[in-house]
Amino acid sequence: MQVRTGVCGGARQPEASHPNRYRRRASPVRLHATGLRVSEVAAMVVFALLIINKAGGLIFNRTFAPGLQKLDSNDYLILAGTFHGIHAISRTISPAPPVQPLPGNRRPPTTGIESMESSHFRLTCFQTPTGVKFLLFTSPEQPNTDAVVRRCYEIYGEFVMKNPFYSLEMPVRVEKFDRALGAYLVRP
Amino acid sequence: MSVYSLYIFDRHTECIYTKRWTDRHALPAIRSTAGGALSNGSSSTANDIPAATRRAMKHSDDAKLIFGTIFSLRRMVRQLGGTDDQFLSYRTGEYKLHYFETPTQLKLIMLTDLHVGNMRTVLYQIWATLYVEYVVKSPLAPTEHASGVGVANELFEGGLERFIVSTM
Repeated sequence: MQVRTGVCGGARQPEASHPNRYRRRASPVRLHATGLRVSEVAAMVVFALLIINKAGGLIFNRTFAPGLQKLDSNDYLILAGTFHGIHAISRTISPAPPVQPLPGNRRPPTTGIESMESSHFRLTCFQTPTGVKFLLFTSPEQPNTDAVVRRCYEIYGEFVMKNPFYSLEMPVRVEKFDRALGAYLVRP
Repeated sequence: MSVYSLYIFDRHTECIYTKRWTDRHALPAIRSTAGGALSNGSSSTANDIPAATRRAMKHSDDAKLIFGTIFSLRRMVRQLGGTDDQFLSYRTGEYKLHYFETPTQLKLIMLTDLHVGNMRTVLYQIWATLYVEYVVKSPLAPTEHASGVGVANELFEGGLERFIVSTM
């Protein structure tokens, strides 16, 4: 991880009219290669990824960083089932006024929960056209969660779907998938 | 930037106040006779219940579904983030749901469109400046608002309309 020191962002040169005691002491702040402060980068964390199949059963569950409560596998199964139900209900309670029907009289599809905020984490849910849901638990400051979850979907398509020994809707036990996901989501 | 509806639930899990600014169960327009042949079978049973009652049932169903959703989500958040974690809001492709809970377990839920930001301060203000002022401090309103008695008084409703119009 590259680190370069720099002056505090925002320290301006003192104007000629101000006396010297108002000048901010320049202290080196450790900056990450991306330009953000190291402490900010440390806060952007992906906690866990859950994959739920079409029927609401949990097929993959992995924690990448500490930050969420420790739950046993039974609790994760119950959580997945609960979220599957809540996702369906959130589609039906949509208060938005009905949209014009598309040509061909097809109703535009309503979507369920895509993102949920709490004080300690953010949950991003990506539903594939086949009904599989990817739940990504991140810290609230993590940007681009939809890009991250789509990359996870790409990795899933690459290593799980193309695996000839994987049966659909069954728990995912593919080692290459685990390795690729770890390389992408676990920060050294 | 529009608010769709506001719900208030008390600590007995009962819906004590509902306010809708859009009606998604609006009665459909009269269908033409060309499409009437197929829908005749289903519409005969649906006509047994008058349309107004059906709409009322759907509205109360909405309140129950919303309460069930936030109850489950709150439980999920507590399980995952620890007992001090609070569920704040969620967003779907069509709407956002904002949630605010007071220490007395009064729950304020607001559904808005996608273009609004964080409505937590708005919900806090609705509670502090409108609900507490006009409902809690009202000498005529009972302490427990079973089935919404005492909440929908004129001052509260008027204040809420003005507040929402001024924020949007």
